[in-house]
Amino acid sequence: MTTTAPETGADPTLLRVRDLTVGFTTAQGPVDVVENLDFDLERGGALGIVGESGSGKSMTSLAIMGLLPKGARRSGSIEFAGTELTGLPERGMRAVRGDRIGMIFQDPLSSLNPYYTVGTQIAEAYRSHRKGVTRRQARTVAIEAMERVHIRDAARRVDHYPHQFSGGMRQRVMIAMTLSMEPELIIADEPTTALDVTVQAQILDLLAEIRAETGAGLILITHDLAVVSEVTDHIVVLRDGDLVEAGPVERIFTDPQEEYTRMLLDAVPRIDDEIGLLRTTSAAEEGR
Amino acid sequence: MTDTPEPLLRARDLVKEFAIPGGGPLSRARRFRAVDDVSLEVRTGETLALVGESGSGKSTTARLIARLIDITSGSIEFAGREVHALTGRALHAYRSEVQVVFQDPYSSLNPRHSVERIVTAPLVYQRRRVPGGARAFTKELMERVGLDPDHSARFPSQFSGGQAQRIGIARALAVSPKLIIADEAVSALDVSVQAQVINLLRRLQDEEGFSYLFIAHDLAVVRQIATRVAVMNGGRIVETGDRDQVFEEPRDDYTKKLLSAIPRIRPEWDAARRRNERARRDRERQEAVES
Amino acid sequence: MSRFLINRVLGMAVVLFLVCLFTFVVFFVLSPDPAVQICGKNCTPEAIDQIRANLGLDQPFWTQFWTFLSGLFAGRTYGTGANAIECAAPCLGYSFQTSQPVTDMIVQRLPVSATVAIGAAVLWLLAGVSAGLVSAVREGRFADRFVTGLTLTGMSIPNYVLALSLQFLLVVTLGWLPFPQAVPFADDPVRWFLNFLMPWIVLAIGAAAVYTRLTRANVIDTLQENYVRTARAKGLRPDLVWRRHALRPALTPIVTIFGMDFANLLGGALITETVFGLNGIGKLAADSITKNDQPVIMGVTLLAAFLVVVGNMVVDLTYTAIDPRVRVGSAK
Repeated sequence: MTTTAPETGADPTLLRVRDLTVGFTTAQGPVDVVENLDFDLERGGALGIVGESGSGKSMTSLAIMGLLPKGARRSGSIEFAGTELTGLPERGMRAVRGDRIGMIFQDPLSSLNPYYTVGTQIAEAYRSHRKGVTRRQARTVAIEAMERVHIRDAARRVDHYPHQFSGGMRQRVMIAMTLSMEPELIIADEPTTALDVTVQAQILDLLAEIRAETGAGLILITHDLAVVSEVTDHIVVLRDGDLVEAGPVERIFTDPQEEYTRMLLDAVPRIDDEIGLLRTTSAAEEGR
Repeated sequence: MTDTPEPLLRARDLVKEFAIPGGGPLSRARRFRAVDDVSLEVRTGETLALVGESGSGKSTTARLIARLIDITSGSIEFAGREVHALTGRALHAYRSEVQVVFQDPYSSLNPRHSVERIVTAPLVYQRRRVPGGARAFTKELMERVGLDPDHSARFPSQFSGGQAQRIGIARALAVSPKLIIADEAVSALDVSVQAQVINLLRRLQDEEGFSYLFIAHDLAVVRQIATRVAVMNGGRIVETGDRDQVFEEPRDDYTKKLLSAIPRIRPEWDAARRRNERARRDRERQEAVES
Repeated sequence: MSRFLINRVLGMAVVLFLVCLFTFVVFFVLSPDPAVQICGKNCTPEAIDQIRANLGLDQPFWTQFWTFLSGLFAGRTYGTGANAIECAAPCLGYSFQTSQPVTDMIVQRLPVSATVAIGAAVLWLLAGVSAGLVSAVREGRFADRFVTGLTLTGMSIPNYVLALSLQFLLVVTLGWLPFPQAVPFADDPVRWFLNFLMPWIVLAIGAAAVYTRLTRANVIDTLQENYVRTARAKGLRPDLVWRRHALRPALTPIVTIFGMDFANLLGGALITETVFGLNGIGKLAADSITKNDQPVIMGVTLLAAFLVVVGNMVVDLTYTAIDPRVRVGSAK
């Protein structure tokens, strides 16, 4: 994994994605679900990738992790901390995965293996990346990580199984798992979509806290513009695999340049704004 | 909106208990109270939103009112009649006066039936005549919910999520109900599609004057459609009130917590965006004039 | 946990009681008068009455059933006075044909059936699971299609056809195996092994086909699970992803089904044992059915029911032990 990157301090860019294309071959012929995507993430920055279903936002995250489903084609460049990930052999990619780029998924219950205690699942990542770590050391790391995500009574809870936790606590376990490796980049794919709104608020606070604490970069993938507006500093708007618009979050929310972005922003129901007819893709769907 | 003194629907002290599975000949069956002493009213032509987080009992309450499940105790009166006493013809009548639109359109529409068959099914089951013939009736309904009437022979899987949900709404409309229970009916939809369906639901209510019992977890969505709001937590209603009162001056601590937890786009950003939008439109108009 | 266990044992007792009652009704009440059968051709009404009295057949139904039940647990005495015969604890009565205690007949034959069952089970488990794994790993490729073809064949051949044709082929035509003949293990282990080889194969093939399909489906499903994706996202080595996150969840249901199938087989393989002339429970059942030897039929039936019920319970307990979701309730 040691592709030496001596000038890491010099280059402020943590992740540079260029011309990323992800495609599948279907019965109807080749289909690109992500097309010629370009974006950057600075060290310690937070990037929101926003889009509706079918926009290719989740495929983008899996493409970065090298975890695309069987049969997917990937082209373009993904440069992470000076290392080109697309050219990396599986072994080298494995060293990046989990260790330097951590990932959090949407549904924490199904993302955790029901057969193992959460401690085992946190420790397993740690042990597979750090040579010569004993079981006991890894367990200590797991407990510490659980404490850092504010799971009370972590020393006891470490031996519990995923089903013994509530939805929000399970997501904390997922975050602890990621956190235990001190990654440089955390990719969170709809991390709060399956959670209740009060729990969502707590998890978003936790992610912000961790970012401040560790300086890790964050890519937040979501359909929820309000969440993105609170958490990230830059956003990328995707539609049907194409980049619609990208920029600093305030600019996108105050002065969107593309009609689609404007439509999205108008379609979000507000809790504190005037209530009118929600604007939509105008004639496109209201008619049909 | 007609203001009747007597509400369309009145539920009093509803309780629903479920037996917790497991146990055996030795253990006494444990019971879980999903709905605990819930009372609510839906007036003619209004939308009562029942909001709460998962496990709050809001969907169970909806099912009790739709008589999809039986109440443990309490009473439900609809248009002056006790709902759980209804049988036979009267129950049939109730089923056409109260319709349900579910969250997942694909799983609540029979995938092997065409739109025409789905939409006319409620009438057929009740052995009622389909006014104007099935084809024409379906086309008219599809038009009303914003679907292409030429697609009446298609199957649910040939429609997008938003369109499929419109089929569900059309099916509910087919029997001219007085109350439509929308159980998280827009929750699974993409935001732009969700906005369209909310607009559609509002328009239909304006046109037909029926009532909604709108079950949802998303307060921002609820605010777009509700006349009054009831907040549920742990099987109980913790607060009921007019929409603006609940959103602007919530009385209950849980309601306050729920409202403060909602992620929101900064109002000043929205204001700036509107300013920029106006400026942009002015600029465009200017350019159009000049050319 | 102990509450769970007590509940299970009580449930099992109820089921076994009902099985006893049912078999008792079928074999002793609905079938032709056993006294006439026992008495034979030259029979007087007095002799029949005597036999009836001895067997307790002149008693009301519930008394008979009670005597039968208590015979199972405490033994019973047939006849009175000098003619009295003591039948010890798990008393299933005496064979009409040989007058042997049914319990003894079953116990004598149990080792043979157990040998058949264990050997076949090991074989089908190994073959089925490994073929299933190969099939899952090579999903859609040649190996997968080949295995799938084999399993279809395996599942569609009836046992007796397989047994007869295998015997004909291996013993008669090719002469690779000696003609089956009971040999104690201690006398000639090789001969003993060869003797059991064919029944093992015959019994294993059908089950192995089922287990292959099951393993394949489970593994393919499990690989789609989100937690497998998580394991890969953690950067685990592929072998660890497989072993810990794919195989364990995929194979757990197989363990449970295996328990049921094994218990079933322990109760005797009727056709296979008969074809290969193995003196096991299955053959005992077949023989007693042809001779209408009611106490034996009933004994064998009860044994099979008992094994299934116990097997079911063992499976439940095993499941409890290996699936944490069942073992530890959700602690909120």
